[in-house]
Amino acid sequence: MQPAILPILLFVAASTGLGIVLLSVGWVFGPRRNTAVKEMPYESGMDPIHDARRRFDIRFHIVAIAFLLFDVELLFLYPWAVANRHPEGIAQAVTDKLVDDRMLVFGEVMVFIALLAAGLVYIWRKGVLRWR
Amino acid sequence: MADYFLQHLPHWPVFAWFPDWVNVALAYVLTAAIHAALLNVVVAAGALVFIWLERKVSGRIQDRLGPTRVGGKFGWLQTLADGIKLIAKEDLMPAGADGMLFRMAPYISFGASYVAYIALPFADGWVAAPLNTGVFFILAVMGLEVFGVILGGYSSASKWSLFGAMREAAQVVSYEVPLGMCVVVPVLLCGTMDLVEIGNMQAGWFTNWLVFHDPFTFVTSIVYFTCALASVNRAPFDLAEAESELVAGFHTEYSGLRWSLFFMAEYGSMFTVSGLAAILFFGGWHGPIPITSLLGLAGNDNAFLAYVANLIGMANFIGKAVFGVTFMMWVRWTFPRLRIDQVMTTCLKYCVPIAAAMFLGVLWWTYNDLPGGAWLAAPYAERLRIESPAAAEPKTEVPAKVAVSERGV
Repeated sequence: MQPAILPILLFVAASTGLGIVLLSVGWVFGPRRNTAVKEMPYESGMDPIHDARRRFDIRFHIVAIAFLLFDVELLFLYPWAVANRHPEGIAQAVTDKLVDDRMLVFGEVMVFIALLAAGLVYIWRKGVLRWR
Repeated sequence: MADYFLQHLPHWPVFAWFPDWVNVALAYVLTAAIHAALLNVVVAAGALVFIWLERKVSGRIQDRLGPTRVGGKFGWLQTLADGIKLIAKEDLMPAGADGMLFRMAPYISFGASYVAYIALPFADGWVAAPLNTGVFFILAVMGLEVFGVILGGYSSASKWSLFGAMREAAQVVSYEVPLGMCVVVPVLLCGTMDLVEIGNMQAGWFTNWLVFHDPFTFVTSIVYFTCALASVNRAPFDLAEAESELVAGFHTEYSGLRWSLFFMAEYGSMFTVSGLAAILFFGGWHGPIPITSLLGLAGNDNAFLAYVANLIGMANFIGKAVFGVTFMMWVRWTFPRLRIDQVMTTCLKYCVPIAAAMFLGVLWWTYNDLPGGAWLAAPYAERLRIESPAAAEPKTEVPAKVAVSERGV
């Protein structure tokens, strides 16, 4: 059995290495004549006003929270989706008397999706999806 | 390939002296290194070709010629010339920038976009790492790309970059949800997350492709493509760059080859999402007409013929993925960019409910045993047959597992 993590790690290293090689080629051949004007952040030709590190809109925060809720709960659908039709999945569990009935599991998933839907309707009514 | 090395490495001249565990480790490292080198070439060459293609396609759509001079009639060396120009550019960093994050960000984007290829099968069993959670791995790794964009935008200390990064964060983060819902549908139908198996279940005529399985999967594939466009932030969802509003968005302050890493990451992930679409919905490496099985190439005991079948399959797969990428270019030069509020509305008010409805529709379809074309290639039809609880008799035999991954490169 091939250790699955090894090729992945090696590929991370390979891609990073490719990036480093590319950038060092640029570092060797590129010019290095830095001036204060070149180091200014670009603001369409004007001298920059204020620092760029400022507070930004709360809307992004709300979107992020909504994402966390939905995406994390979406993850739970995958194991069920695999087990649903896999012969060693729910069917086997029914045969082994681990689960009473296929439809019970199905019903549970439906309840789960209904909860998600209720959440979506709630944030919709609360106006989270209205980008104003 | 790992098996080949495991078998033959200990008999090679020098290696025979080494202890066994060294040879085993060497076999795996050698295999992984060859895969990594191959994929690096594929990805780098892909980026070169796609950038040229994009300029050509956009030129033609706007009634221009695009590049014509560099490298002969069609300007096909234009990207290489651009690359050489980028080498000669100065690598600048704004004075107020956070140096470490600024330098790190392109690597994250680039690395994430490239590592996703490792789980992407190019033909039956031709995958660098045969993961049994391939779909999951690709989605997860592609999701990391956004970190590079956000860090790059935030650390630049430029307002344009910051705006671009925040938009990207909101957009990509929201589109992960419908994207995940669309991907769940093929996983549900096939009962596996292994991309090689999902691809092989669509063997045969094009009616076996999951996109034609039922009306719901058809709509799902459209929603998937929309969300894929948004998640690799291509137009009309390219708010993070938005060159007419934000100068260049998150990479305003990047220059030279450091900037080109972001660019190559974008084209790399375009290919990945198109390839994923090809495997999940459009039959993967199985062409519309099963030439390889009609000619008796596929599944042949003769290793050479099976190899030829796999080569044809790879051509099919790459053709489909390139078509997907070309389609994205077509979309880019056809539709105007959306506003940020329209982007969020499209995602949460349309894509999510539609994707959820399609998911339920597919469930309904499978639970009622409605026809799915001639769907499910023979070895899998057995494997996926669900016994009804009434007829739950003790299993006579475990269905023969088709060891796809063992047929590997």
